[in-house]
Amino acid sequence: MYRYFLSARYIIMRPINWIGTLSIFVAVSALILILAIMTGFLEESRKHLRGHLSDLVVTPTFDIPIHSLRAYPSRDTQGILAEIEKHPGVVGAAAQLVYPGMLVPPHSERIMTNPNAMGMVMVNFLGVDIPAEYGATSLLEDLKKEVMVGPFDQRPDDLDDPFAYPEDYYPVEDARPRDPILMGEKLAAIWGMRKGSELELATATLDPETGAFLQAGNRRVVVVGTFRSSFNEMDLSRIYLPREVLADWLGRPGQYSQVVVKLQNYERDNKSIISDLRVDLSSAGYIHPDPEKPGFAEFPWELQTWENSRGSMLAAIENERALLGIMLGLVLLVAGFGVFAILSMMVSEKRRDIGILTALGATPRGILTLFLAIGGIEALVGMALGVLAGVTAAHNINGIEAWLSNAFGYQIFDRDIYYFDHIPTVVELSGIVAIASASVLTALIAAAVPSLRAAYLNPVDALRYE
Amino acid sequence: MNDLTDNMAVEPGASPEAAQHQGRQPGRLLIEAKGIRRSYKIGDRTLDILHGVDLNLRQGERLCLMGASGSGKTTLLNILGLLDKPTKGQVSVQGLDGWSLSTAKRAELRNNHIGYVFQFYHLFAELNALENTLLPAMLKHGFWAYQARKKQYKERALELLHRFGLEGRLKHRPGKLSGGEQQRVAIARALLLDPPILIADEPTGNLDRATGETVLQLLFQEQEQRNLGLLLVTHDESLASRCDRVLHMEDGIIQSASDQPTPG
Repeated sequence: MYRYFLSARYIIMRPINWIGTLSIFVAVSALILILAIMTGFLEESRKHLRGHLSDLVVTPTFDIPIHSLRAYPSRDTQGILAEIEKHPGVVGAAAQLVYPGMLVPPHSERIMTNPNAMGMVMVNFLGVDIPAEYGATSLLEDLKKEVMVGPFDQRPDDLDDPFAYPEDYYPVEDARPRDPILMGEKLAAIWGMRKGSELELATATLDPETGAFLQAGNRRVVVVGTFRSSFNEMDLSRIYLPREVLADWLGRPGQYSQVVVKLQNYERDNKSIISDLRVDLSSAGYIHPDPEKPGFAEFPWELQTWENSRGSMLAAIENERALLGIMLGLVLLVAGFGVFAILSMMVSEKRRDIGILTALGATPRGILTLFLAIGGIEALVGMALGVLAGVTAAHNINGIEAWLSNAFGYQIFDRDIYYFDHIPTVVELSGIVAIASASVLTALIAAAVPSLRAAYLNPVDALRYE
Repeated sequence: MNDLTDNMAVEPGASPEAAQHQGRQPGRLLIEAKGIRRSYKIGDRTLDILHGVDLNLRQGERLCLMGASGSGKTTLLNILGLLDKPTKGQVSVQGLDGWSLSTAKRAELRNNHIGYVFQFYHLFAELNALENTLLPAMLKHGFWAYQARKKQYKERALELLHRFGLEGRLKHRPGKLSGGEQQRVAIARALLLDPPILIADEPTGNLDRATGETVLQLLFQEQEQRNLGLLLVTHDESLASRCDRVLHMEDGIIQSASDQPTPG
């Protein structure tokens, strides 16, 4: 009985004990909040990246012959689409022609004056087939999103045919209408482009015979609409064109460079569909031979999930989360040290009490549990308050951020950088349980050392202590 | 516990016959110490504190231990109270060899059979007078067992504190009590579980003469009423004169013993 009674009394009567509680509280609440934000970022980023990249990407390596056939992969667009779409788990597939190029805006002197612009000159042209693209990627949603940056009303007039010219568009220099493009709203805003603006695109192509670069010249295009995905960098480097227009321009009529595939249930089916597709597409000659045959290991990237192709970025966020976890784990260690220090001090101060307790009939085990209980109560109270504060803060992080930004006059969370309109947080029960138990365990281990010292204190020495 | 009856063993310096002469029946043997030696190692040196002490304490006996500082009386007291282990020799409390018992059993023996009164009271600063008095009962029982007997213990503690004139001080912490009051609370604590043995280490050493006298009267009165074996360490000759037996310690041995007339 005395263990519960005295431990509670010692804690209540000695406010310094609350330092141990405070250190556990700070560590637990910070850990929960940071973990919630990092998990939120990870999930949000995954969502955004996935929407943009579709579930699977098939990228045949056309310039290397298929080993077994000693032939180049087939470029038959309809053939590969049919081969992919026959799988029951596939919802949609779209051929894309991707090619690097440059943006030459009308006021190209801006390239010299706008330091941000330098990086935005190099872009990827993405030749797409509209109905198929809608079925396999999130382009339609990206075109429907409300405009966040730049002038309003920048979206295409007709979403069924986003490459259609705006009603009020008239070609500037001659009567022939320019080729239509769709560009990211942020890129458009940086270059001062809007619906109906004309600009030039430039690229260089390879001579199919010699492999040397050939000047393909510039092509004048017109912006028919803007889009906003949720991934800033892609929006700044992606220009959509109709696939046949880009293929013509590059001198590769009807060609594609990759096929994006959307699955009915990615999480469940991605492994089985990938292995099926690998066998089917390789035996049909669209990609290099399947895993059973030698040489395949050289071409694993021909068929990838979106996670594979964005693997390094996802891994970076995951890695950051793990690193932060480790660093905050150190905070937990410091909190444990706080408990250790406070309890050690208490054991030194209470030597006489320990001696009296022994004289009155306490066992070493009883004294051990008395001091362990003090550490345990401190940890439990700190942990409970920390969980409460951490979860509350995670749920109200945007309000807190707004208040702090207001109070200090500094934008703590820059929405432009992350392209999120809020700080995403995800509070996972498993994370809370792990943090809570780790904090209590750390505190108990930290408390064990001074508690053992108290338990094995010589009562004669302890009673002599004044 | 073995309920040892008096084996009529002759004690050093005192005999049951002596007590019989004084009109008092010697009680059963409570503490029996034989050939107690205690030495400490300090570096390479061995420091001998006790050189073979024999001592018995009987029920109803008031035994006084006197000696200069450093003569080893506190060491002996700690050994008799089972707080310190002798280097050699045997201590039996209520017929049980204290150091052959397990730690838990020894703790139980201290809790149930020995009451301590210290010179510096040694009350818990965080507890009030009533809670300090109840502490041995809390040590004796687990949570639920204590809850079941709480009322009973509280009544006993209140009765003791009332008897000691502390009824107005029940909720006071030691810091708010005078030295005499604190020592009275300490005596109440020592008596709560009705132990047959009371060990008092200079109980009045830290009190002025008048307060010391009050505390002493209280101690003796309880000892008589309860027929306790009281082992008292003191420097005070006049206090010693009120004991049944006085043992003089010098350099770790009992140099002389004398029987005293029964006080009162």
